[in-house]
Amino acid sequence: MVGPVVSPKFSDGKGIDMAVADQAAWETSPIASDWTIDELMIACLADCFEDGDQACNGMASFLPVSAFNLARLTHAPGLVWLAGALGLEPRPVEVPASTLEAPLWRDAVMYVEQYGDFWNLALNGRWLQKFCVGAAQLDRFGNANNSVIGGDYHHPKVRLPGTAGLGDMGSIGKKLYYWNPNHNPRALVDRVDFVSCAGFLGGGQERSDLGLEGGPELVVTNLAVLDFEPVSKHMRIRSVHPGVTVDQVQEATGFELLLPEGEIPATREPSQAQVDIIRAFDPKNMRKREFRNR
Amino acid sequence: MEEKLTDLASAVSSNVFDGDVVALQNMATQAAPMATVREIIRQERRELGLVVLVGGIAVDWLAAAGCLNRLIGAAVSMEQFGLCQHYRAAVESGQIVVEELSETALNARLGAGARNLPFLPTRGLIGTDLIGMSDNLTLIDDPFGGPPVVACRKLVPDVALVHVHRADRFGNAQFEPTAIWPDLGIMPKAARRVVVTAEEIVDTDVLRRNPDRTVLPGFMVNAVVEVPFGAHPTSFNPNYGYDSRAHLDWISAAKDPGGVSEYLRRVVLEPEDQAAYLDANGGAGRLAEILRWERD
Repeated sequence: MVGPVVSPKFSDGKGIDMAVADQAAWETSPIASDWTIDELMIACLADCFEDGDQACNGMASFLPVSAFNLARLTHAPGLVWLAGALGLEPRPVEVPASTLEAPLWRDAVMYVEQYGDFWNLALNGRWLQKFCVGAAQLDRFGNANNSVIGGDYHHPKVRLPGTAGLGDMGSIGKKLYYWNPNHNPRALVDRVDFVSCAGFLGGGQERSDLGLEGGPELVVTNLAVLDFEPVSKHMRIRSVHPGVTVDQVQEATGFELLLPEGEIPATREPSQAQVDIIRAFDPKNMRKREFRNR
Repeated sequence: MEEKLTDLASAVSSNVFDGDVVALQNMATQAAPMATVREIIRQERRELGLVVLVGGIAVDWLAAAGCLNRLIGAAVSMEQFGLCQHYRAAVESGQIVVEELSETALNARLGAGARNLPFLPTRGLIGTDLIGMSDNLTLIDDPFGGPPVVACRKLVPDVALVHVHRADRFGNAQFEPTAIWPDLGIMPKAARRVVVTAEEIVDTDVLRRNPDRTVLPGFMVNAVVEVPFGAHPTSFNPNYGYDSRAHLDWISAAKDPGGVSEYLRRVVLEPEDQAAYLDANGGAGRLAEILRWERD
């Protein structure tokens, strides 16, 4: 191991310059000796995005934003990013405290005005096919809730922020990638209290019977990576993170998870190059703010 | 052209009435017409319905001051400063009734309002529980034989409140870099009346230099008022960033009922004008901080 193999530089002393990533070096980079869970989750999310994809992010989305930048500086230099679902191909100095405010979309090539342009692109079906979803509750069929918990809708026990764009993204054919840094039985529940983002609804064919395409693909938490069994559409463990047992994942989940056939693999650890890029882009550790027990 | 220049007290007393549906520019911590919001609280408006895409601290102030009884919106959050706790408590107790819409459904309702259509459709929300919670959304068949869509009923706010970078005395209003969010792009066009505050009032000739930045024609505007730092404590790109300390002050005050009334008295009710308000929030030193923008 000889120093960082990829050094994101700043084109003008400010924004990250995409052109400087060393494509050959990151592929042979060894596993990082001191990776942390946020970095592993970011590497998992980055793996979901490829050249030819367009990615966008909403509020408080530090892990997706870091993942898009990691992908762009390693395996997916052609991944297009709309920061804040607004700024096309921006060059932020670093991850700021808000993933919706202007410091994230500085130096954009275009402002994709939301009412017309952004939703024209997102609803069209040709672009922005993948979307990262963060929500307070997620259930066994990948339905998400960011609206209300407990009580009835008009007198809820807890009023959450609201559906924002999730209520759209779940219904318009997007592939959904959930992230949750706080895997616990109140976050991963048998049935969401309220469906603010359509997953596989009641499972099986229910989603496709409504004419909806796309749907939940993957769930990346601080304990495991989970997917959805193709027939029942029930959540299933894909891999557990190093040092985590299947029992621990199950205990932290509010319903019984399906298990894959055969040995359950350990999630791939991030490489030194990946970790270097993540840290260079986020020197103030904004990504760690999403973790309750940081 | 008709003169629209006035003062904040008259702008609100002539255009915002008890019971109104008020469309508010605001994206979490961005660009809210906060001076107008404070004037509404001072004039003790009641039973307002608020329309927001993503409401922030303005929603919490209005909720804490007892001005609201309903809200139509996609989300309410101060992002890194957390949930709006007074709004949240008022919803949980049933004092504020929420019509929660996805972004495309809200845009469709406002778009129909702007174009005087009975509704516009969206493909969002299908399969969610939100459709059943609103009398203004309903699943309809595609008359041309495709899959069903969600009809989103026309929404015509009584008044839209916006803050812009500059305007002339006739209400022609410019925004930087342009009307990027629907809170400016569509809300005022759906509303019956529009109240504009501007960082500066300029001669019309200044607007003529960059007509591509003009986002509202003066004939649509009912009142225009000059209010420097009129979006404080929200951000106003590229002029100034959000005021973190002001947000934290509110969060800390909002933790107990005594703190709220004392905060509203000190920050909202007592300052006689914008300069006094800014002084109550750290004065020139604080303004220098938010002018540094990217370094917070």
